Amino acid sequence: MGIYVEHLKKDFSYYRKETGIRGSLHNIFHREKLIKEAVKDISFSVEKGEMVGFLGPNGAGKTTTLKMLSGILYPTAGRAEVDGFVPWERKNEFKRKISIVMGQKNQLWWDLPASDSFYLNKCIFGVEDYAYREVVTELAELLDVKDLVNVQVRRLSLGERMKMEILAALIHRPDILFLDEPTIGLDILSQQKIRKFLKYYNEQWKTTVIITSHYMADIEALCDRTVIINQGQLVYDGELADINRLLGGRKLLTVKTSGAVDEKAWTAFGTVREIHSAGAVLEIPHEQTREILTAILNGLPVEDFNVTEIPLEESIARFYQKEAVD
Amino acid sequence: MKRYLKLLGVFAKYSLMSVLEYRINFVAGVTVELGWMLIKLFYVAIVYKAGVSIGILTPDHILLFIGTYVLMTGIYMLYYNNFTSLPGMVQRGDLDLYLVKPVSLQFYVSMRHLDFPMFLTNVVAGTVMIVIGWRLAGLPVGAVQIGGFLFFLVCGCLLTYSLFLLPYLISFWTVSVGGIGDITAALWDFNNMPSMIYGKWMQRIGTFILPVFVITNFPGLFVMGELSVGMAVWGIAAPVLFFVISRMLWKKALRNYSSASS
Repeated sequence: MGIYVEHLKKDFSYYRKETGIRGSLHNIFHREKLIKEAVKDISFSVEKGEMVGFLGPNGAGKTTTLKMLSGILYPTAGRAEVDGFVPWERKNEFKRKISIVMGQKNQLWWDLPASDSFYLNKCIFGVEDYAYREVVTELAELLDVKDLVNVQVRRLSLGERMKMEILAALIHRPDILFLDEPTIGLDILSQQKIRKFLKYYNEQWKTTVIITSHYMADIEALCDRTVIINQGQLVYDGELADINRLLGGRKLLTVKTSGAVDEKAWTAFGTVREIHSAGAVLEIPHEQTREILTAILNGLPVEDFNVTEIPLEESIARFYQKEAVD
Repeated sequence: MKRYLKLLGVFAKYSLMSVLEYRINFVAGVTVELGWMLIKLFYVAIVYKAGVSIGILTPDHILLFIGTYVLMTGIYMLYYNNFTSLPGMVQRGDLDLYLVKPVSLQFYVSMRHLDFPMFLTNVVAGTVMIVIGWRLAGLPVGAVQIGGFLFFLVCGCLLTYSLFLLPYLISFWTVSVGGIGDITAALWDFNNMPSMIYGKWMQRIGTFILPVFVITNFPGLFVMGELSVGMAVWGIAAPVLFFVISRMLWKKALRNYSSASS
């Protein structure tokens, strides 16, 4: 049992609104209906226990996809099956199997300690007393919030609150966990702690996890498999590390010279990215690294050099600008 | 059913705990409510002072009817804030995290915050007015009368919930419903006097089309022996009918829920 998605599609209709009061008045009498295709045609599947990252720019359709998979939204077209259920039928047995955490929405009671919200979830999901005590103790320990569960939620920091949100979402030990931007707005330390926890939890409980983020570091640390979504379409599905290879396997060569070298001399070796009085940065084909390096060492007054991968962010940004690749 | 009662208990407890977090606000809330209660008592004072009778209703009967209205207002106000916050939740996409819970969404969303200051003051004042009006009017105090009165109160509660939820469901389509909310509130206040003070057509509309009069008039009419069999049947059928309508519209509305971007 896993997650199967076939040709999923979601359109939102909205009205065009011209700026200013004139536009608003015009809007009362005449509205031009427009369609936004939030998710165009997405197909993929996720195995049980897998942890998959959804990467994509704002408005790419990541959250909309997660909302359809958790049953919050009805799709416009397409099929999906999550642990044997069609999510948007919203059956109670289905809801007991999943959980969703959204970085920008909260389910905790603001004026009460988080433990009260945990207890409410225990009642809603019908979790047994002993299982409830066990899960709260264990997760509070792992998330390092043992001393905070009895503090009113409004007094907690954003990072602490997020940890409580995650804990509240796991009270019923879901088989499938959807995380939508769980680290948004958090400091680096809190981000790391949450990542560490999620990794441990996934390994320990074999929970299937889909996580969306636009922080590369989240996905890099957590997921072997990454799905990149852009403009409602799936543009990449595979290992994050393979992205560079897919984009032509190029490398960055940084060379430091003892004196100025003419730009023409550099262009002979590769695409010039940067040039200054004592060196340059070149983009070169991966398989020619050795030959190019030898030629440069022989021909130019080299003091030092360094070969690196093209930063992943940069490659992904290229994906964002590019249409679907096979 | 047992689970829902338990959840209702938890909601009640948490709502009370939440308001008690802000002591001054809580005291202020109760004070304001006591003020409103005094205003309502003034109505009665005016009725007595003027010695008006409305048809068969003496001032004592009117007190009983107003008491019923105050009591029902208390019960309605207990969950009223959930109705008014519904459009905002739809607008901001706040239903998302309630939709994934294995519990009736309608129950959850419409009962999760309970307002005790309004509930307590109105229920106490209403009950006192009912008891005094009942005694002074010399109405019989038998098991049938009390049982029937309570039964029609329960019917009235169900009708209130169903009827007054309808306008707020429109927010699923229109997102904002400020105007409709105001009209609904005004509609409720039609009940602060017995329906007999209104003209014939108003009474018919208020009994059969938008049956607000059923809510606070039928219990009193029953005790007075003035509720015909046909009307009694309608008093039972209307809550069921409107509950079914509100359920159907709720389900339809939910299909229209478009969440909000985040």
